Amino acid sequence: MNTQKKDFVLCFVFMLLLAVGLALCVLLPKEKYSGSERRMLSPMPELSAESVWSGRFMSDFEDYATDAFPFRDAFRRVKALTALHVFSRKDNNGIYASEGFLAAMEYPVNEASLAHASERFRSVCRKYLTEENKVYLSVIPDKNCFLAEESGHLSMNYEDIEKQMADRADFAEYIRISDLLEKDDYYRTDTHWRQEKITDVAERLAQKMGTTLSQEYETHTLEQDFYGVYYGQAALPVPPDQLQYVMDAAINSCRVYDWQNNREIPVYDLERAEGRDPYEMFLSGPISLVTIENPGARTDKKLVIFRDSFGSSIAPLLISGYSQITLADIRYIHPDLLEQFVDFEGCDVLFLYSTLVLNHSETIK
Amino acid sequence: MLFSSISFLYYFLPLALMLYFAVPKRMKNAALLLSSLIFYGWGEPKYVLLMGVSVLLGFGFGLLIERYRKKRTGRIFCMISVSVSLSFLLCFKYADFFLGNVNALTGWKLPLLHLALPIGISFYTFQIISYTVDVYRGEAAQKNLIHLAAYVTMFPQLIAGPIVRYRDIAGQLTQRTHSFQGAAMGIRRFVIGLAKKILIANQLGELCGAFRTSEEKSVLFCWMYAVSFTLHIYFDFSGYSDMAIGLGRVFGFRFMENFNYPYISASITEFWRRWHISLGTWFRDYVYIPLGGNRRGRKRQLMNILLVWMLTGFWHGAAWNFIVWGALFAVLLTAEKLWLLERLEKSRILSHIYTLLLVMISFVIFNAEGMEQACSDLAGLVGAGGIPLVSAEALYALRSFGIVLLAGGIGATPAVRNLAGKITENPAGGRILNLLEPAVLMVLMLVMTAYLVDGSFNPFLYFRF
Repeated sequence: MNTQKKDFVLCFVFMLLLAVGLALCVLLPKEKYSGSERRMLSPMPELSAESVWSGRFMSDFEDYATDAFPFRDAFRRVKALTALHVFSRKDNNGIYASEGFLAAMEYPVNEASLAHASERFRSVCRKYLTEENKVYLSVIPDKNCFLAEESGHLSMNYEDIEKQMADRADFAEYIRISDLLEKDDYYRTDTHWRQEKITDVAERLAQKMGTTLSQEYETHTLEQDFYGVYYGQAALPVPPDQLQYVMDAAINSCRVYDWQNNREIPVYDLERAEGRDPYEMFLSGPISLVTIENPGARTDKKLVIFRDSFGSSIAPLLISGYSQITLADIRYIHPDLLEQFVDFEGCDVLFLYSTLVLNHSETIK
Repeated sequence: MLFSSISFLYYFLPLALMLYFAVPKRMKNAALLLSSLIFYGWGEPKYVLLMGVSVLLGFGFGLLIERYRKKRTGRIFCMISVSVSLSFLLCFKYADFFLGNVNALTGWKLPLLHLALPIGISFYTFQIISYTVDVYRGEAAQKNLIHLAAYVTMFPQLIAGPIVRYRDIAGQLTQRTHSFQGAAMGIRRFVIGLAKKILIANQLGELCGAFRTSEEKSVLFCWMYAVSFTLHIYFDFSGYSDMAIGLGRVFGFRFMENFNYPYISASITEFWRRWHISLGTWFRDYVYIPLGGNRRGRKRQLMNILLVWMLTGFWHGAAWNFIVWGALFAVLLTAEKLWLLERLEKSRILSHIYTLLLVMISFVIFNAEGMEQACSDLAGLVGAGGIPLVSAEALYALRSFGIVLLAGGIGATPAVRNLAGKITENPAGGRILNLLEPAVLMVLMLVMTAYLVDGSFNPFLYFRF
C-alpha cells in the first residue's frame, strides 16, 4: 500500500469509527442497570434552558455518555486486560487477581478506625450489658490476609489488627478464628466467606461461648452461577463461583423475623439468590435487626451478634446451640434504638466483624 | 469538554467534522466558530459571553489600531486593548491572589471574589493580545468578525494551546486547503496525542495521586513522585498539544509545534527552547523584546529575564509556588547565560543529569499546593523529616507502575520516532509500516475508548492555567 492509499484508508477508517460510534451511541437501546457493576446507570439528563445554563445538563451528559456507551462491559474488560497484561499493572481500579481469586486491596491499617469501632462496641456494652452478660469479640480477616502478601500486593498486618482490637476491647473475651481460615474459605469473585467452609469457625465460636452445635449439615448447591461483587468491578474474565448453603434440623425448623420490615423471612431466601447480589440469600441481606428463633433448642441460651454481612452466613450455623440469636447491624440501626426490640438480660453477646468494616468503621453508629 | 471523553470523541467530534466538511468553503469558518462555541459552552456556558466580549473588543480595537497605526492614537488604542484583555485575566484569575496577599500583609479583611476561572482564559487572552499587537506592528486587521472569532475560539487549541499567533494563521483563515494527506497527518497526530494522554499521562497521574494520599512517605516514593509528575505533565500537555495540532490539521490549519522532546535537553536554556514553545516565544516577542531584550546592557537584560520568567510562572497559576518556579528558571537561565553554559558543553552526560534534575525539582515546586507543600516534597527527596528510604507503598507503586514509567521514559525521547524512521528507510519496512499503521491507530482508539468507558482518572493539567 502506498502512502496516498494509506492516508485515504486512515481517514476513511477513522471517520467510519467516529460515525459508527455516534450512530450506535444514539440508536442502540440503553440499559438502566449494570448487572456486572451492580449499580444504576446514569440516565439521559433532562434538557432545559436552566439545566444548560447551569452546566448541569453537560456534566450529567458526560456521565450518561460513559454509562450508556455500547458494549460497555466488553470495553471495560479490554481496559482491565490492557492494564494487567500490557502495562503489567498489579491491580485494576484497586482490584487484583491472584490464584484465580479477585480481591480489593485493603491498605493501610486505619488505627483511628479500629479505635472508633472499639469505642462504639464499648458504648453498646455500657448502655445495655451487665456483668452477667458474657461478651466476646472476634475479627474476621478479609481474604487479602491470605492473598495479598504472596502475590506482591499491599497487605495489612492482620495479626496486629487482631491484637489491637483485642487490646482495645478489654470488655470482651477475644476469640481467634483467623487460624482456621484460608483463601479457599472465601468466594473467588466476592468479598465474603463460603458458608459451607466455615463450619469449623462456627464450632470454635460455639465452643468458646460455651455451647455445642449439631454439626450434622447437609450441603446444597444452587444451580445458577454466582458472580460476586469483585467480578463486575474487576471486569476480568474469571469463572463464576457456585453458591452453596448448609441445612440441618435446627436451621430447617427455625423462624426468622425481620424487625426492620416487620415480617418473617426465610433463613435462605432463594429468590434473592437469583437477584443482583446472590449473597443476600443469607438472612435476606443487609437488614438492621433480625431474630432467629430455634423452637427445637435443647438450651435456653440466647445470643446477640453485632455483625456485618459476614454474620449473615455464619449465624444459621450457630443456631443449633441457642434458643434465639439476634443479629444487629449497627451500621443501619442506631444502638440507642435497640432497647425497643432486644432484651439483653442473660444473653451472650458477640461482636463479629470483618477487617473490611473495622478498617472503615465510620459507618458504625 | 475534554478531548479525552466519550462525549467529545463519539458525539461532538463526528458532528463537528460532518458540519465542517458539509458546508461550502466560504462557510467553513462560521461552521468552525459554531462548533467552537458549543465546545466551549459545554464546559462554561456562562463564560461564552465573556469570551464573546473579549473577541468583540479585540476585533474593534484591531480596526481602530489599524486606522490610527501611524499616529500616537494607535499606540494608545493598542495599550488600551492590551490593558482591557489583561484586566479580564487579572479579575478572573488573579484577583483573589492579590486580595489574599493584601489581607495577609495588612491584616485587612477584604472579601475575596471567589470567581470560577474561565477555562482557557490565559490562552485566548494571549491570542487576542498577540492579534492587536501584531496589527499595531503592521499586520492587516481582520475585517471579518467571523474569521477573527473563529481564530480566537478555535476549539482544537482554545483551552490548552498551543498559543496560536494571529500573524502565523492570518492567511490560513481565508485560504487553506484540505487533503487526505493533511487529514491523515492530523488524525495520526490526534490519536498519538490521545494515547499519550490516556495511556501514559493518566496512569502517571494515578501514581502522583497515590503518592499524595499516601501516609507512608519514603525517599523512594518522593523520587518516584518527582519522576512520575515530570513525565506526567509532559505527556499530559504535549499530548493535548498533539491533539490540538492534529485536529487543526484535519481542519486545514498548521499550528506551530509546542514541544520538541524537552527532556533530552542538555541545559535549561535548551529545555525552554523545547518546552511549551508557543508560550516561550510569546513572552519573548510580546514582553522580553518590548522591554528591551538584550539591547540595553547586561544589567537590564538580566532584569528583563527575571521579570519575564516570574511572569511566565505567574501565568501558570495565581500562587507563590508558580512565581518561585518562574524565578528559579530566571536564576538558572541567567547563570547559564553568564558562565554555566560553556561548562555544561564539556560533558553531555552531566549536563543531561543537571537539566533533568533541576527540571524535576522545578516541577515538584510547580505541582505543590503552596510553598509549604513544595518545601515538604523537596525535603522528602533528601530524606529530611526522618522518613524511611523505602516503604511498602513505594515498592508496590514501583512494581505496578514500572512499565508505565518505562514507557514514559522512552516515549519522552525521540527513540520511537527514530526507529520508525529507520524502518521506513527500508522499502519493505516502509510497506509493512504503511500497512500496519491504520490498524494500529484504530486498535489504539478502541483501547483508549475502553479506558474512557471505564471512567478512570482523566483531568487535564493545563486546563487550570
